[in-house]
Amino acid sequence: MTIKKIKEKFVESIIYSCGTFTTLAVLFIIVFLFKEGSGIFQKTALEEGYSLAVNRYNPVSKLSPEQIKSIIEGDIHNWHQLGGNYDSVYIFTLSDIESKFTQEELGAEFEHLKEKITAYVESNTGVLAFFPSKYVDASLAKIDVDKITLASILKGKDWYPTANPAPQLGALPIVLGSIMVSLGAIIIALPLGVIVAIFLAEIAGETLKNVIKTVIELLAGIPSVVYGFFGLVVLVPFVQQLFDIPVGETALSGSILLALISLPTIISLSEDAISATPQELKNASLALGANRLQTIFGVTIPFASSGIISASILGIGRAFGETMAVLMVTGNAAIMPKSLLEPVRTITATIAAELGEAPTGGIHYEALFILGTFLFVFTFAVNLIAEFFAQKR
Amino acid sequence: MLPLMQLEIEAYMKRNPAQLNVTGGGSGVGITSLLEGTVDIAMSSRELKMAEKLKFEEKGKKLIVMAVANDALSVILNPQNPIKQLTREQLEDLFTGKITNWKEVGGDDLRVVVYTRESSSGTYEFMKDHVMNKKEFTKTAISSSATAAIVYATSQTKGAIGYVGIAYVEPIVKAISVSYDGGQKYIAPTFNNAFNKTYPITRPLFILYPLEKEKLVKPFIDFLFTVYGQKLVTHKGYIPLK
Amino acid sequence: MHKNIVEKIVFQFFGIVTWFVVAVVALILGYIIYRGVGIISWNFISQPPINGMMEGGILPAILGTLALILGSCLLAFPIGILSGVYMNEYAPKNIFKKFIGMMTNNLAGIPSIVFGLFGLAMFVNFFQFGVSILSGCLTLAILIVPVIIRTTEESLKLVEDTYRLSSYALGASKFETVFRVVLPMAFPNIITGLILSIGRVAGETAPIIFTAAAYYLPQLVLSLGSPVMALPYHLYVMATSGIDLDKSRELAFGTALVLMAIVLLLNFAAGGMKLYFKQNRS
Repeated sequence: MTIKKIKEKFVESIIYSCGTFTTLAVLFIIVFLFKEGSGIFQKTALEEGYSLAVNRYNPVSKLSPEQIKSIIEGDIHNWHQLGGNYDSVYIFTLSDIESKFTQEELGAEFEHLKEKITAYVESNTGVLAFFPSKYVDASLAKIDVDKITLASILKGKDWYPTANPAPQLGALPIVLGSIMVSLGAIIIALPLGVIVAIFLAEIAGETLKNVIKTVIELLAGIPSVVYGFFGLVVLVPFVQQLFDIPVGETALSGSILLALISLPTIISLSEDAISATPQELKNASLALGANRLQTIFGVTIPFASSGIISASILGIGRAFGETMAVLMVTGNAAIMPKSLLEPVRTITATIAAELGEAPTGGIHYEALFILGTFLFVFTFAVNLIAEFFAQKR
Repeated sequence: MLPLMQLEIEAYMKRNPAQLNVTGGGSGVGITSLLEGTVDIAMSSRELKMAEKLKFEEKGKKLIVMAVANDALSVILNPQNPIKQLTREQLEDLFTGKITNWKEVGGDDLRVVVYTRESSSGTYEFMKDHVMNKKEFTKTAISSSATAAIVYATSQTKGAIGYVGIAYVEPIVKAISVSYDGGQKYIAPTFNNAFNKTYPITRPLFILYPLEKEKLVKPFIDFLFTVYGQKLVTHKGYIPLK
Repeated sequence: MHKNIVEKIVFQFFGIVTWFVVAVVALILGYIIYRGVGIISWNFISQPPINGMMEGGILPAILGTLALILGSCLLAFPIGILSGVYMNEYAPKNIFKKFIGMMTNNLAGIPSIVFGLFGLAMFVNFFQFGVSILSGCLTLAILIVPVIIRTTEESLKLVEDTYRLSSYALGASKFETVFRVVLPMAFPNIITGLILSIGRVAGETAPIIFTAAAYYLPQLVLSLGSPVMALPYHLYVMATSGIDLDKSRELAFGTALVLMAIVLLLNFAAGGMKLYFKQNRS
C-alpha cells in the first residue's frame, strides 16, 4: 500500500472511531442520567441512615411522609390521630440530645448515645425518636416509612427536600409550574410567530424580509441569562404595576420571556414551512378568483400546518427546558399554579437553585436527578413528536 | 457572609503572595463542598446540623469550627408598611403563612408576601430553627438565591416581609424591632444591640476547615482575627467579635 | 372589492405585528446598551473586580469565558465534524444509523441544565476533576457536539450527489472524494455552525454553574484544574447578589452589554460568512 493509502486509512479509522464514540456517548449519557437518580427508588422517605423508633407499647408501625410533616408542624399532636393510643406525640431528635445530656454523659465520641436513646424511648410512651440507625438499638420498635416511588414524587404536592426528619419530595407543583409557563409562552408566541412568518413569506419584499430576518436572528442570539436580567429589571416591575398585583415575579413574566426566547425558532421554521408551499397550488387558488389573503388562509396555511405545528412543539420544548430566565423572574415558589399572576417554580429553576447544596448520592441529589431525567425524557419526546409532524409533509 | 469573605480575601491577597478564591450558594453548599473535599474552607451562617457532624465523622474528617463575626438577623418590611415591631410568635405565623393579611397584626388590609432564601442558605435554616420553631416556610414564599434580591424585592412590594443579615439592610427597606418575651420589650436590630447581645436574633458566623488542612489555611484564618480583619467585619456591616 | 379591503387591513395588521416584534427586540437591545454603555471603559474590560465587586472591571470573567470557549471548541469541533462526516458519508444506511441519527438530533435540543447535571455527576464527581476549567470545557463540549454533528450533516447533505459521482467517475477514492470535493463545498455552512456554537458556549450559564464557575477569582493565570469566572455567571451574580444593589446593577449592565456584544458579533460573523459564500458560489 502506498503512503497515501495508509494515511487515508488512518484518517478514515479516526472518522469511524469518532462516529462510534459519539454513538456510544449518546447512549452513555442517557444511561448515566438514569443511573444517578435511580438509587432513590431504593430509599424510603426517611433521611438516609436514620431510623424512627417508638415505645414498645405504641401500636403505630407505619407513617407516611405527609404524616411525619404534619407531626413536625404540630397539626398532628396525638398518637390517637394516627390510630394509636391516646398519647401526646413527643418528637425526640438529635437537637434535643444536646439540651438533655451533657457531653460527659454522652461520651467524647458519643459512645453512650445509644443507651441514652434506648432508655429515653423505653420510659416515654408518646415518644417518636429520630436518630441515625447506628444509635438506635435493634430491640426498639421501629416505624416503617414507605419507599419512594416515581408516583409519589410526581403526585406529591409538598416540595421541602431539606426537611427534617422526613424530606418532602412532592414535585407536582414544580412540574405543573414548568408546564404552565411553557404553555403560556406558546399562547403568546405562536400567534405572533405565525403572523410574522406569513408576513415575511408572503407579504414583505425581499430586502425588507432580509432586514427583519436579521433582527429576529439577533433575538435568537441573546443568552438566556441576559433575558433573565432584562426581565428582572424591566419586566417584573412592569408586570407588577400593570396588573396592580403584590409581586411582579409571576408565571406571566416567565411566559413572556420564554415567548421571546422561542419566537425566533417558531418564526424561522414556520416561515420555511410556508415558503415551501408549491407555487402551483397558490396559482391555482388565485386563478379561481381568490385574493392573496384568501389564498394564504385557504391554501398556504393548511399546507404548511404540519410544519407550523412542528415549529410550535419545538418552541414548547425549548421553553420547557429554559433555566436562567425563569430562575430570575418567576419567584420560585413551589405552589400549585392557579393563575398566571402568581409566582411559580419550574423544574429547571429547582435543579439550578438546589443542586449545589445536595450532598452527592443523598436523597436530595437523587431527587434532583430524577427531575433532570424527567426533563430529558420530556424534551426528547417533544422533539420526536415535532419531528414526526415535520416529516408529515 | 460571601461579601465579607470576599473583602477579607481581597485584603489578604494584597498582603500575601497567596491565591484564594471564593464561591457562594449558601451555607449548605459550603458544608457539602467541604465534606466532598472540593473546598478547603467553608463559611456557614448557622451551626452544623447534627447529621452533618456525623457525616464528617464517618468520613474521618475532624473539623475545626470558629466564629469569625456576629450577625443580627433583621426582619425587613416595605417602608410604606406602618408596622414597626412584632413578636416572635407573630413572625412565626407570618413566615409560615398562618397570617395572610397585614390587618391581622394591626396593619393595613394588604396581602402578606413572604420573601425567603433557598433551602441551601444558612440564614434560611437559622430562621426556621430559631424564629419559626422549626416549622416550614409557607409554600407561597418567593425564593431567592441571594440576599440582595430579597432587599430589593421587599422595597418594591408593599406587603413584603423578608429576613436579611444586618449588613444587608439598606434605607430602602425598614428593619423592625422584635420581642421575644411576648410583647413586653421590643428591641431594634442596631449594631449596639447586636454587639451586647440584647437583640434576640443574633447569630455567630462561622468558618470551618478540616484539621488536615490546618497548615494550609492557618495564615488566612489568623488574618481574619487580626485587628484589620475584624475592622473589615465592621466595615461590611457585621458585628466584630469583641 | 370588499374582500380586497379586508385583505388590505389584515396585511397592514400583520405588518404592524411584525414591526411590534422588531420593536421589542430593539427595546431589549437598546435598553441594555443605554444602561450599560456608560460603564464600558478600557478599565472595565481590563481590570478585575475590586472592593467586594462593587467596582472595578470584569477581566477575569472575560478571560474565563475565552478559556471555556477555547477548551470546549478544541474538543468539540474535530469530534463533531468528523462524526458528522461519518454519519453522512461512511455509515451504512441501516436502522441503527437512523436510530443514532435521531438520538443525536434530539440531544441537540436537550435543556442545558441537564448537561450541567451530567457534567457534575460525570466530570466533577466521578472523574474527580472537581469544579474546574476541565470539567466546564468537557460539559460545554458535550453540549455543542450534537449541534455541530447536525450542522455538518445538513451541510454535507446540501452537496449534491452529482459531485460525488463525478469524483468517483474520475477515479478518486472515497477518502479523496469526501475530503477533496465534498467537505470543501460544505465548509462554509459548517463554519457558520461552528461560529454559532461559539456564541452558544459564550452565553450558557446552566452547564457551568456546577462544573466550572467561581464567584470571585481574580487571578488571571489559571490551571486546568481550577475554577474560573465566566461572563454569564458573573452577570447572574451581579444581578442577584452583592450588598449595594445600585452599584452592582450598573456593573451588571456593563457585563450584560459585553456578553451580548460578543455573542451578537459572533452571530453577525456567521451570518456574514453565509452571505459571502452564497454570493461567491453563484
